[in-house]
Amino acid sequence: MAAQRQLMRQSYGVFRGMFLQQRCLSVTAQRLRPDDVDKALSVKEAPSKDTKNIFETKEEVERRLKLQENIQIDVPLDLTPVTGVPEEHTRTRRVRIFKPAKNAMQSGTANINRWRMEFETRERWENPLMGWSSSGDPLSNLNVDFADKEEAVAFCEKNGWPWFVEDPVEKVMKPKSYGLNFHWNRNTRVSTK
Amino acid sequence: MASPGAIIKSTTRQVKPLLSLDKSEARRRVLNLYKAWYRQIPYVVMDYDIPKTVPDCRKKLREEFDKNRHVQDIRVVDMLVIKGQMELKETVEIWKQKGHIMNYFKETIEPKPQGFLSKFLAGHE
Repeated sequence: MAAQRQLMRQSYGVFRGMFLQQRCLSVTAQRLRPDDVDKALSVKEAPSKDTKNIFETKEEVERRLKLQENIQIDVPLDLTPVTGVPEEHTRTRRVRIFKPAKNAMQSGTANINRWRMEFETRERWENPLMGWSSSGDPLSNLNVDFADKEEAVAFCEKNGWPWFVEDPVEKVMKPKSYGLNFHWNRNTRVSTK
Repeated sequence: MASPGAIIKSTTRQVKPLLSLDKSEARRRVLNLYKAWYRQIPYVVMDYDIPKTVPDCRKKLREEFDKNRHVQDIRVVDMLVIKGQMELKETVEIWKQKGHIMNYFKETIEPKPQGFLSKFLAGHE
């Protein structure tokens, strides 16, 4: 506050000169003296009121404030009544949550650390005209990636799909060497006699 | 493989309200919407000239509301009420056509075959 006051006092002269030169834009700025500045800063302004809410009653104000806060809900989130997905595609579809495997043709592992959900296969057929593969299932190509399986499970629960998680099988790397085949402890050594 | 029952989580949580702050308020909104539809039905039957009587439509109205009777989540109830109000508005303003009203009755929709044999005979799966 003190620094602000000091600054205003210093700049007062500059502003005054400027305004006088320009034949003054503001009348109040011309009248401003250092003591006026002190006075103006000490007097508190009336709190500004939002004109939108002036005519609200006490109850209405209370309600508006309550609506901005949180409410407590003790049932699991289930959006099936409001998503608009047909019933046929909610309760009857089974979701598999899994970790996609690395592409066997490449050694990069950048995009395999995620969880994916996928629906069970419905009827597919070969298109008689072109021989392309067809399906009447709108969810057949829906693949959604998630950072972890809990997220995927929550998404399935929210949408009412039965789900199951397929945890990846951890591969144990066994140290192998050719020379070990001829170790004294191994029975693989063939007698030279 | 984890089964659906394996993950136990607490369901109590803090969320932002949509319209209602508690269950009684949400219930009041639902009842108001039901009453609005109920009163509108004679005009709907007259304006859209559908081959249904007023009691038929009221029965269907009851059925549509009963479909979501199990919903406990206040926010989902609110969202359903909002959707219902939109539907009512569309009906009242005649933004819909006769077919849209008749869609509630699903008379022209052939039910999908249920069970193994009927599916087989229908040539699906």
